[in-house]
This record gives sequence, C-alpha cells and structure tokens, in this order.
Amino acid sequence: VKYVDEFRNGEIARAVAAQIASLAEPGRHYKLMEVCGGHTHTIYRHGIKDLLPDGVELVHGPGCPVCVLPMGRVDEGVAIAERPEVIFTCFGDMMRVPGSRGNLLEVKAEGADIRMVYSPLDALRIARENPDREVVFYAIGFETTAPSTALTLQRAKKEGIENFSVFCNHVTIVPPVRALLDSPDLRLDAFIGPGHVSTVIGCRPYEFMPEDYGKPCVVAGFEPLDLLQSILMLMRQLDEGRCEVENQYGRVVLWEGNLQALKSMAEVFELRPYFEWRGLGFIAQSALKLSEEYADFDAELRYSTPGVRVADPKACQCGEVLKGVLKPHECKVFGTACTPERPLGALMVSSEGACAAYYNFGRKSYERVEIGSKG
Amino acid sequence: VISLKGHDALCEDAAGNRAEIAVELVEPVEAGEVLLTHGGVAIGLVSSREEDS
Repeated sequence: VKYVDEFRNGEIARAVAAQIASLAEPGRHYKLMEVCGGHTHTIYRHGIKDLLPDGVELVHGPGCPVCVLPMGRVDEGVAIAERPEVIFTCFGDMMRVPGSRGNLLEVKAEGADIRMVYSPLDALRIARENPDREVVFYAIGFETTAPSTALTLQRAKKEGIENFSVFCNHVTIVPPVRALLDSPDLRLDAFIGPGHVSTVIGCRPYEFMPEDYGKPCVVAGFEPLDLLQSILMLMRQLDEGRCEVENQYGRVVLWEGNLQALKSMAEVFELRPYFEWRGLGFIAQSALKLSEEYADFDAELRYSTPGVRVADPKACQCGEVLKGVLKPHECKVFGTACTPERPLGALMVSSEGACAAYYNFGRKSYERVEIGSKG
Repeated sequence: VISLKGHDALCEDAAGNRAEIAVELVEPVEAGEVLLTHGGVAIGLVSSREEDS
C-alpha cells in the first residue's frame, strides 16, 4: 500500500536502528518523549522499543485527547446526554471513558439517545434530520480534530441550523508540553513532535523547546520508519550538539501548517483562560471554547454546565503515566483492576492511550523482561 | 480523491473504503490527490515530494 509499505520495511528499520545505536554514547541515558498517543501506539504495535539500544528510553507524553480529559468534563457530558430532548453524539473513543457516575455507554443502555459518529459533520446531518430534537456534539481533540469542529460550526451557521450545539473540549498541545518542561519531576533530552497536530499548526510553535529549554524536537510521522528516522534525527542533534526543530514528516507537514484550517479555527474558537488536564492540573490558555460569534452553538451556555471538579479514583495513576513519570505497567492497577474491557482510567480506554497500547502490544515483552530479571 | 462535488470529495482509503470528505480546508483539490483526513474533514494534502527520496 502506497505511503504504508515503504515505511514498514524491516531491513531498513534494522539499518536505522543500528545507526541510532552507533550514536548512543556508552553509559549515557537518553530520554525522548513521544508527545502524541498515536506515536505510542506505533511504538508498541511495531516493537520499535525492542529495536532501540538500552540507553535510549521512550517516554509517553500527554498527547491523547481522550486521556487528558478530566472526570468532571466526562460527568458534564453525561449530564447533557441524559436530557430527554437531546440526541448526544460523540466519537467512539468517548463512549467508555469513565466518569464518576458511569460512562456514556452505560447511560445509553439506560435509555439516553447517544449516537457514535465518525465526524462532527455526521452530527450536523442528524440535526438536519431531527429538527424537533436538540443535537449536541461532544467535541474532543487537539488541533488535529479542532478544524473539523470549526468547519462543522461554520456550515451550521451558514445553514441557520438552530438545534445543533457543541460541548467543546478541544485542547492545544504547546501549553502542556511547556508545563512538562517546567516540571521538576521529569528530565527529558528531546521530543518527538506530533505529526498530525503539526499538519495544522506547523512546526514554528515548537521553537520554544530549543530556544527556551535547550531541547531538540523532530516532528514525526506515524509509520515505524518515520519514528525510527525521527529518533535518529534527534540522536544526531544530540551527538552534534545541535538543538533545533526539524520536520521528518515532510510529506504531510508544512513548516507554516495549514493556514486555511488555522483561519477557520480562529473564527470559531477562542482560548479559555485556563483548563483542567487529567494529571497535569489547570494549565493557562491550554484549551478552546466557542468564540462570541458562535456562542449560540455553545452547549455549555445552552445547558448551563456547572464546571464541577471531580477527583480521579485513588487507585488510578493515569496522571503519573500522562506526565511520563510512571510507565503504564508501573501503575498499581494496570492489567488487574484496570483492563481495556473494564477500564478504570482513560488511558486504558482509547486506542491512543499509553496503557491500552502497552496492554495490547507491549505487555508480553515487559513480562519476559521481568521474569528474566528475577531469574 | 475519486471525485469532487462542491466542497466535498468522494475519497477511497488504502483498504478500499469510500467516504465523503469535506475539503474546504485544503482547497484547491483535484481528483487523484491524496489527502490526510481527520473526523471526515481533510486537514492536509499528502505531497509526492518524499516519493523521490
């Protein structure tokens, strides 16, 4: 398959891995953070971790939009979905994310009209087809997904559709990365930048990493060779003492991003003063809400959501995993009380969640290492 | 991209699945081009620049 097979060539992968190994200084520990949950998925699914030398460690970042949503926002979505006049629409990932009173799938089983959609445009179509009902779209995601919500709202406004609104939970990638760099918990050497977010925002927003923190960043694609090449590019920067933003994903990402998408987002959204992130707390200007021009479509205003804070279950250590402080298997409930079938935390729900990726693709490798180390 | 109608395109993915994709954010688009789509909306054009590399 074009754009897939050529980026999964095992022979080339081993050659690139050998180059990475040749650049790793003996005794030095390199800690690279893959910001995006999609990268975490690729790393475990394709066994990238097993190709790297012992001294090169990959740390998961906060780039899974389902995973970073705090429990209070899940509860507010559930409360809107329970309203009898509402058809509540969301991506499939959101259905099993636990709130304090259950998840959307359970509420649907109790009779709420909740429908999974592939696109916010599908939600808008449902609104057109049901003029006597209120249709709400549960918008989540980083800058990758925000343009589709923006475009949908622009179409809704143009068509004058009044029974459609959006519960906006879009977040932005730069503020949490900056928060991680300011955190004393974590020492990182470099970043693998998110490919699809960068399709929209470009590479320039990451320049603060080398300029303010002295950390290299390489924007990466999502196939195994994309990731290996990105790691090699980071290792070369570290080896040569360079520190800059580079773009490995040039077949999709333009340095300046997608200006049409950014314009659309600028019309529909504005930055929230602050937003709560699971595990990271409140981060200033890290999320989007609907602009005044689109306030009529804002479900938070339409349904007066209270903005309640709800603490995560005590046993769940999603926050530490999101910050890269803990590996998924180091969480107390990983694979026991928390599994993809019965998740306690959001990281076990989404396919981009570090815990789900680790459970589905990395667990056997981890168990083998553990047994060997004990023996 | 298989065909275009207004701001929407009929697209086919690598597995042969077809879907209607909104293309306002990447216009101009022509049949035969490859798009990066997310949530039913195209957010990027896949360039052939790297095919040669």
